[in-house]
Amino acid sequence: MAVYRRSTRHRFLLVLLVLTSITVITVDVRGGGGGAMESIRRGARDAFAPVQSTADDVINPVSDFFGGLFRYGHLKAENSRLRRQLNDARGKVNASANSERERQELLALEKLSFADNLPAVAARVVATSPSNFQLTVEIDRGLPTGIQKGMPVVTGAGLVGRVIAVSQERATILLLTDPSFNVGIRLSGSGDVGVARGNGTRQPLPVDLVDVGTKVTGDEVVVTSGLQGSVFPPGVPVGKVRSAKVQPGSLQHEVSIDPLVDLTRLDFVKVLIWTPKDGGTP
Amino acid sequence: MNQARAKVPLVLLLFLVVELTVLDRLRVFGAVPDVMLLLAVVAGIVGGPRVGALLGFASGIVLDLFLETPMGLSALIFCLVGYAVGSIQGGVLRAAWWIPIVTTFVASVAGVVFYALVATVVGQPHLVTTHLFVVAVVVGLFNALVAPFAIRLVRWSISDATGEKAFA
Repeated sequence: MAVYRRSTRHRFLLVLLVLTSITVITVDVRGGGGGAMESIRRGARDAFAPVQSTADDVINPVSDFFGGLFRYGHLKAENSRLRRQLNDARGKVNASANSERERQELLALEKLSFADNLPAVAARVVATSPSNFQLTVEIDRGLPTGIQKGMPVVTGAGLVGRVIAVSQERATILLLTDPSFNVGIRLSGSGDVGVARGNGTRQPLPVDLVDVGTKVTGDEVVVTSGLQGSVFPPGVPVGKVRSAKVQPGSLQHEVSIDPLVDLTRLDFVKVLIWTPKDGGTP
Repeated sequence: MNQARAKVPLVLLLFLVVELTVLDRLRVFGAVPDVMLLLAVVAGIVGGPRVGALLGFASGIVLDLFLETPMGLSALIFCLVGYAVGSIQGGVLRAAWWIPIVTTFVASVAGVVFYALVATVVGQPHLVTTHLFVVAVVVGLFNALVAPFAIRLVRWSISDATGEKAFA
């Protein structure tokens, strides 16, 4: 009898907890990410920020030590490879200085706004996602620097993702490989547009809506299209074409792209202070 | 009693700090170990269905604060997992040393898959993929590996919270 009573009480507690969770989920989903839940989350993240910084200070030297120990050969090879690339890049910079000047003159002529003249906030990536079900990173800048939800995030190489949550001390960035990520793109060669969507970590991004007649070449660079209503400014490099083929009877080109940025090893990123409404290109 | 009340949040905080600062660097095949789920499972093993459900709910809701998935989702899954483990495992704890480890593995794999299924119902896209099984196995193996330490820690934290030897 006592056993029976106890298990009934346990079941009552379970039902109570389940109902509470479902209520919280409903409030959060229905509230569209705004309201009470968001301010609670912001508070928790700001409170945790100093703990995280302290832990990083302790852990980083240790993990660097072991990382260096186990990957010495790899690091040495990487170092010489990077030196080679740096020399190549220096040469290219010299060569492109002239064409860059011409491009700037053309842009000024056309009065177009491009990503490289947008104000930006530089930030360090302090954590990756603790969940297996979202591809995000956290950066060490927040609301006081002008970062807002929806702003695009880039590195020197290209698009990283966009801001999906921001508190006083931290901002969370959804990476472009996350399955819920979509971005309107333009093929640099043909100028044809399409939509690229995330497909999971280390997976290429499939591109939809590219016309069958479009000529797509391998390694072609793909940039954000920035069409009206787009959540990204135009001209930000997104990726390189990895494969392109047309299935018989298909109505679209099957294109997939690799991101230009190595999203598994992000260190410093830039948040572009840009929202769709002030970047309204015609 | 007061001392016990302080010990449970302390262990919860410890798990959270480990999850958010250490484990996110420790990716295996792109999967992160999930010690908050481990806490729910171990609470069920050590303390039975009541403690499993309560600690599972608490660890889930705390983790939810740092995720972008709907708030309360981890709490829902973890409290169910903790309760289920507590109900099944409750009586057979002292049978053999490996039983809690196997239980942790199975419960962690089940918890990850269950999470993805429920998240899909709530409107998170593309979670049920082949990668999910990699994630489930990695989480399961890691949790099974550290389960003996977690069991000791949780047993210490709730040692006089329940006050009943039957749960220990």
